Amino acid sequence: MTAKFPRVAAAATVFKVAGAVLVLAASAAVFMAAGAALAAGPGQDQDKEVLKLQLPKPMFVGTPRNIKTPNLETVSGRARGPFYVPKGTTLLSLNKPVAASDKEPVIGEIGFVTDGKKSGEDGYYVEFGPGPQWVQIDLGATYNLQAILVWHYHSQARVYRDVVVRVAEDKDFIKGVVTVFNNDHDNSSGLGAGKDKEYIETNEGRLIDPKGVPGRYIRLYSAGNTSNDMNHYVEVEVYGTPSK
Amino acid sequence: MTTRRFTGLLLAVFLAALGVRLVGLGLRPMHHDEANQAVKFGQLLESGRYVYDKNEHHGPTLYYFSLPAARAAGARTLADLSESDLRRLPAVLGAAVVLVLALLASGLSREAVIFAGLFAAVSPVMVYYSRFYIQETILVFSLAGLLGAGWQWAKKRSVGAAAAAGLFAGLMAATKETAVILFGAAAAALIVVYFFSGQERVKFPVRVHYLGLIAFLAAAVAVVYLFYSSFLRNPDGPRDWLSSFATYIGRAGGEGQAAVHRYPWYYYLKLVGFNHPAASPLWSEAFILVLALAGAIAAFTAVRGRDGSPALQRFLVFFTALAAIAYSVIPYKTPWNVLPFYLGVILLAGLGAALMWRAGRFIVFKILALIVLVPGLANLAGQTYQANFVLPADPKNPYVYAQTLPDFQRLVGRVEDVSRLVPEGRNILVKVIAPPDETWPLPWSLRRFGRVGFWTDAASAGDVRGTPLVIASAGLAEKLEPALSESHQVEHYGLRPEVVLTLAVRRDLWDKLMAKVVAERKGP
Repeated sequence: MTAKFPRVAAAATVFKVAGAVLVLAASAAVFMAAGAALAAGPGQDQDKEVLKLQLPKPMFVGTPRNIKTPNLETVSGRARGPFYVPKGTTLLSLNKPVAASDKEPVIGEIGFVTDGKKSGEDGYYVEFGPGPQWVQIDLGATYNLQAILVWHYHSQARVYRDVVVRVAEDKDFIKGVVTVFNNDHDNSSGLGAGKDKEYIETNEGRLIDPKGVPGRYIRLYSAGNTSNDMNHYVEVEVYGTPSK
Repeated sequence: MTTRRFTGLLLAVFLAALGVRLVGLGLRPMHHDEANQAVKFGQLLESGRYVYDKNEHHGPTLYYFSLPAARAAGARTLADLSESDLRRLPAVLGAAVVLVLALLASGLSREAVIFAGLFAAVSPVMVYYSRFYIQETILVFSLAGLLGAGWQWAKKRSVGAAAAAGLFAGLMAATKETAVILFGAAAAALIVVYFFSGQERVKFPVRVHYLGLIAFLAAAVAVVYLFYSSFLRNPDGPRDWLSSFATYIGRAGGEGQAAVHRYPWYYYLKLVGFNHPAASPLWSEAFILVLALAGAIAAFTAVRGRDGSPALQRFLVFFTALAAIAYSVIPYKTPWNVLPFYLGVILLAGLGAALMWRAGRFIVFKILALIVLVPGLANLAGQTYQANFVLPADPKNPYVYAQTLPDFQRLVGRVEDVSRLVPEGRNILVKVIAPPDETWPLPWSLRRFGRVGFWTDAASAGDVRGTPLVIASAGLAEKLEPALSESHQVEHYGLRPEVVLTLAVRRDLWDKLMAKVVAERKGP
């Protein structure tokens, strides 16, 4: 029976088959493509108020592992307790300019760091290259810093390494440099060994208390994480009061 | 195609398949399953004893096949072996599939076999799991042997070919319990071809070849019995193998612990069809799938080719479809299970490519075929490079599944660093306190350490305050906190995505380590 068919017919059949398959493949592709606000507590200082934080919805499915160790903070599943700041404290970092050691992020844009969007989903985080990297926020003026909140990446349980947060009055970090957080316990970043604890990323972010130090520039360092060597930021928020 | 050209081309394809499988075998950290298999093999290597376990580890061929090469290399203990040493066996057998396909040349055409060999050589999923120290590649190699020898038996009615088919069938059964799915699919496909495929064109032997059947069964039973009985040292082994099916039937349903591997029916189709994670290349073997569909349709039309056997081609269509359906409807799925029926897909793709190649006699048709085939093969080769050499353990790679993270290697490196600071060296005491699913591949990775203990709960591990090194799952580390908070420095390392291990280094050793690090940074 084969011999009755010319080869041209064979080729035509193949092309018809290929067409049908393309339609099938397209159909298959379509088919497959598939907050916790802080409450004021008793015994509140008259000169202070509760810092109101806008938290993204949790991304964890079920209860994450309880990773409480001497150097790792507890993931309790409960909202963080109230954190008190002086009255008049405001969010300073929203949409402020951001610089980074890695000028060309692998995913996302540098501006994501202060765009106010804190979702853990794809499309809300910026990914910087492997190894030690930093981002730097320019507040535009010097403030007394009251709180810094960092969300590296909270859709997966992971620990970011060598997290160091420093504040300075100039962009080159020469004048008035203060380290407000450092968990680089083996000093692999060369900024000095830190005593702060490593922590697992959650939708709550990491709240750092800068204790009112004055500063205009905030630089955040990290050096990869337990899942990969990349560095991520969903959002950084800096709260403060006008510098006197 | 002349015999000389066919032989030369097939050897070239084999060498290409071998090369891509053997290079950089140590790049990817040992997977949980690989480490499990390696430690099981270590028992055979070190004691000469193997006992089939009906609940875990699958059949014995992986270990017995690993033994000659390990001994020839002078290995006497597991500590003498590296990841590459172990992965070399599946890598070679994965490439050898190309050679075995030659047995099918008279039924598919030589061109089809060459193209199928090329697809097997560069298919990302085939290459990726050929570099895994697990049973799948042996199963695929044996399946290719069964198909090839079975076809020779059907064609020549030779007792030798029947015995060879039985040997390969026995090896399949002695490799993995899921071989019964493939036997079932093959038997059903034979029946369908025999009864419903137009007997005027079917050239399978209509008369039963009793002598061959006896040889086939005798060879298969002998192989199964020898392997499962540990070569007559464990008479209970074959019976345990038979009773293992109850375990695997339960697991196939995705019940209990197996529930974490429950996936929808289209899991395998998606795995090889389309994956495009963020900041990742597009992963797709659609080129092979499209050609396979063309080959499958052509097997039922008049364009099947001038020197192929419609019966064999239709058998392959039914076998591949039935096996794919069977694997897809089983709720329990792991990605490497795609390989056995994907071999059928690759054979059909070879058929489709050969049809394209032979669509016209004139050179212009050959050039047109090359314009389609060469970029398609190049794309597959590019994906294979990405999957195996750029992102071998990265979750963006769709073939990465419950893979140990590269970060885990840092933990092992830290343990090595600390062991160099103490007089006892690798006899330093290491306590591992973690549930089993958060323990592997530590038994493999710490195989060269003399004093490593494994506990699944903190209480059983005893007092850890004086222990030089404690590795604990993050979940159990909380119970250790009172004991370790002052006496140890704790670090964290990723085992798998979402799974973090803690390493506690006794304070005096930590201080020594930091002093050494500082001295090294300063330089001489």
